[in-house]
Amino acid sequence: MNSCIIPIAKIRAGVRFTGLLITTSFLIISTNASLAQTDVSSASANIDTNSPSALKELSLEQLMNMDVTSVTREPEPYKEAPASIDLITSDEIGRSGASSIPEALRLADNLDVAQKNSHDWAISARGFNTSLANKLLVLVDGRTVYTPLFAGVYWDQQDYILADIDHIEVISGPGGTLWGANAVNGVINITTKSAEYTQGLYVDGGGGSWLRDFGGARYGGVLASNVYYRIYGKYSGYGSEVLPNGNSANDSWNMGQGGFRIDDVPLSPNAYTLQGDFNAGHENVTTGGRANVFDYNLLGRWTHTLSDDSDMQLQAYFYRTHLTDPIPASFSATTPPILLAPTGTLIDDLTTFDLDFQHRLHLGARNNFVWGAGYRRTAESDQSDSGLAFNPPTLDQNLYSFFVQDQIKLLENLHLTFGTKVEHNDYTGFEEEPSGRLQWDVTKNQMAWVAVSRAVRMPSRVDEAENERVTTPPFNAIIPSILVGNSNFVSETLIAFEAGYRAQLGQKVSSSVSVFYNLYNDIRSAQASPPPAPLGFPFIFENNLKGETYGTELAGDYQILNWWRLHAGYDLLKENIYVKSGQTDINAAHNETADPQQQVFFRSSMDLPANVQFDTSLRWIDSITLNSGAALETIPSYFELDARLGWQVTKNIEVAVVGQNLLHAQHQEYGYPSSASTENIVRSGYGEVTCRF
Amino acid sequence: MPVLNASSARHWLARLTLAVAILFVGRQMTCAQENISTEYKFKAVFMFHFAQFVDWPTNAFSSAQSPLVIGVLGDDPFDDFLDATVHGENVNGHPLVVERYHDLASVKDCQILFISASEESQLGRVLAGLKGKTILTVSDIDSFPENGGIIGFATIQNKIHFRINTDAARDAGLTFSSKLLRLADIVTPKAK
Repeated sequence: MNSCIIPIAKIRAGVRFTGLLITTSFLIISTNASLAQTDVSSASANIDTNSPSALKELSLEQLMNMDVTSVTREPEPYKEAPASIDLITSDEIGRSGASSIPEALRLADNLDVAQKNSHDWAISARGFNTSLANKLLVLVDGRTVYTPLFAGVYWDQQDYILADIDHIEVISGPGGTLWGANAVNGVINITTKSAEYTQGLYVDGGGGSWLRDFGGARYGGVLASNVYYRIYGKYSGYGSEVLPNGNSANDSWNMGQGGFRIDDVPLSPNAYTLQGDFNAGHENVTTGGRANVFDYNLLGRWTHTLSDDSDMQLQAYFYRTHLTDPIPASFSATTPPILLAPTGTLIDDLTTFDLDFQHRLHLGARNNFVWGAGYRRTAESDQSDSGLAFNPPTLDQNLYSFFVQDQIKLLENLHLTFGTKVEHNDYTGFEEEPSGRLQWDVTKNQMAWVAVSRAVRMPSRVDEAENERVTTPPFNAIIPSILVGNSNFVSETLIAFEAGYRAQLGQKVSSSVSVFYNLYNDIRSAQASPPPAPLGFPFIFENNLKGETYGTELAGDYQILNWWRLHAGYDLLKENIYVKSGQTDINAAHNETADPQQQVFFRSSMDLPANVQFDTSLRWIDSITLNSGAALETIPSYFELDARLGWQVTKNIEVAVVGQNLLHAQHQEYGYPSSASTENIVRSGYGEVTCRF
Repeated sequence: MPVLNASSARHWLARLTLAVAILFVGRQMTCAQENISTEYKFKAVFMFHFAQFVDWPTNAFSSAQSPLVIGVLGDDPFDDFLDATVHGENVNGHPLVVERYHDLASVKDCQILFISASEESQLGRVLAGLKGKTILTVSDIDSFPENGGIIGFATIQNKIHFRINTDAARDAGLTFSSKLLRLADIVTPKAK
């Protein structure tokens, strides 16, 4: 039944599905209580301590975490967060030569980042990195960036002036207790700097081969006493990748983004933030046509400090996204092929309003308690004249959530954190996401932890309402649909067992290791309709898969000399997903995983004389078994190398040359619907000039 | 949103090349401060932050535009890193400047005074002489806040902490931001 698999493959090719349903709101719990403890203490690694301006970029909290005895060091949060966390600092992003957020995410050892084509990436932690990857939660300054249409993140629409990103926190493993549904395999928190720390003028620009031209500017100033603002805008134009036959993939694209942020940090217990951004992009699609995206958001946050160990926060945001996406024609897998639906367009409009409250307090000397509540309303409309439609075309939904978490000091060096989140969504009703974590501070510089968590991936519009239609008469009279969603689709669940250890070994070496064993249930499958449905059409999404994954994540840093730092990372992932006994899946449980079993990362950062920085990053990614086509195929393993040479010409001006994917003229990182038609990523380079005043 | 095509991209590159050429010609060397310890570099930046998180009464300044002076009393451990840190900065319209004083008698109108370890032997006399002035006193002399100073640096496990004597701050007429207080250890001097 080859044709059975084609439909799903086709949807993938048509729409730029990437990612994950994110359905909940809790974030920024990063004060002292929780998993997200790293926010506060995210001192940048590799700070140039000779530069007053670099040091002034640090917040007081960060300064207090800097070790006065070492010139550069890893950020401190290591000791304190009992989870597998990789913190990407502003400085690391700058030195990596990344031109976009998805490229910067290659700095996280605990992620699999695969570039699909010029404008699309597949990004996941601990597996399930299909083109419909949906088990990773992503937040930008507390705003969840996902489309509940496909449960995924459009990475091509997430942008910022990279220099104004404070840090990116990448947690692999579940975070449902704090962040809610879809924080199943991991959470990515992208945090921009407070306007207080982006004062003055910043201008950058440049161009090259794939990243053809780009430019950005930010200005930060003071509105009133203790009220800071910044405004910014940036533009990036990217060229096309190539097809395996050497032809251009015709997937060039461009994107612009602008926005502002105001931070009021008065001499009182109250602090306020107001920020907003807009993003617009035009993307040529290999299969024909052009996707247009436009979105904007406005977010306000009020933080009230009650005492040294108690604070509360109220946050509200409004987020609107628009997507016009060309959907290619669909054909049957017969010989000759029959046109099932001509090319058309899917127009998705999503409006999200989100309200979020949290309160942290100490109860007695031993309990660090945090609780919160949230409400989200989404209104989504999907208008289509193509083979890919949604039924119903519009959907309004409410999501209510509540969480509690307590961190108990059992002994001076032993902390137990447990809590749960309860959510109510309109698809599946109540969902619970409890977790327990035990943290043992072995010594001042070593920490071990174990954790057990439950997390859920809520249904998306695809799971529940997708309708892959046949529109060509007379076939549509016989088979109106090829694949349809299922209103009885339930949440996918995970029970995760994790353990980890981190150590700062002397001044120069730090390392971390984590292991995990994940038990999944009710993973998405598809099955044929029972007779008398002709040929089993339409296929219907079900929850007929279960399975387990296990693996490890290792990372280490070595400051060889005060001007030379090395980093190494390694991931191992084993996946065993299967069809539940007595049930069926037309893709034989292959459709959810397209993951490298192993990844290896090496990075070198050098501070050379005359204010020159030289950074190189080598990665080896294991082969990927492609599950989305008619037959299983393999994308071979590969080595790739990125390098950046930067020169701080004067106090105000820096020039840099960046090379990306230098080892091969072109290589494949991902691949769908088949290795023969998937795009190759080309070797590229660009130059950049940055001015700060 | 400007949409640049290939030819305008080449244009961009040409302009970029020109800009880089100009930069090379006009290049200036910046001399990094290598000869003072990391600890004092951090402390200089802490003082820069203090200037922003503390409110002085308006009568602490002679005018709305008059400078916010950070004084260093005694041997200067910052070299010119403190000057470089505050260069071009201002707080609420008051430009930040650094002045150095050899002894208490030469201390003029300043808003922040860093009292160097060289003054430890005569700390009591110095603090007594500053009594009643709206000056934020800062030092890394041991037990500085306990002895009537306002902010004391303490280096604990290689990290810089700061301790605030809130009573002394109130006596000096200074208001601290909650953020600063949250991060500080609050010191209550022993009754004398």
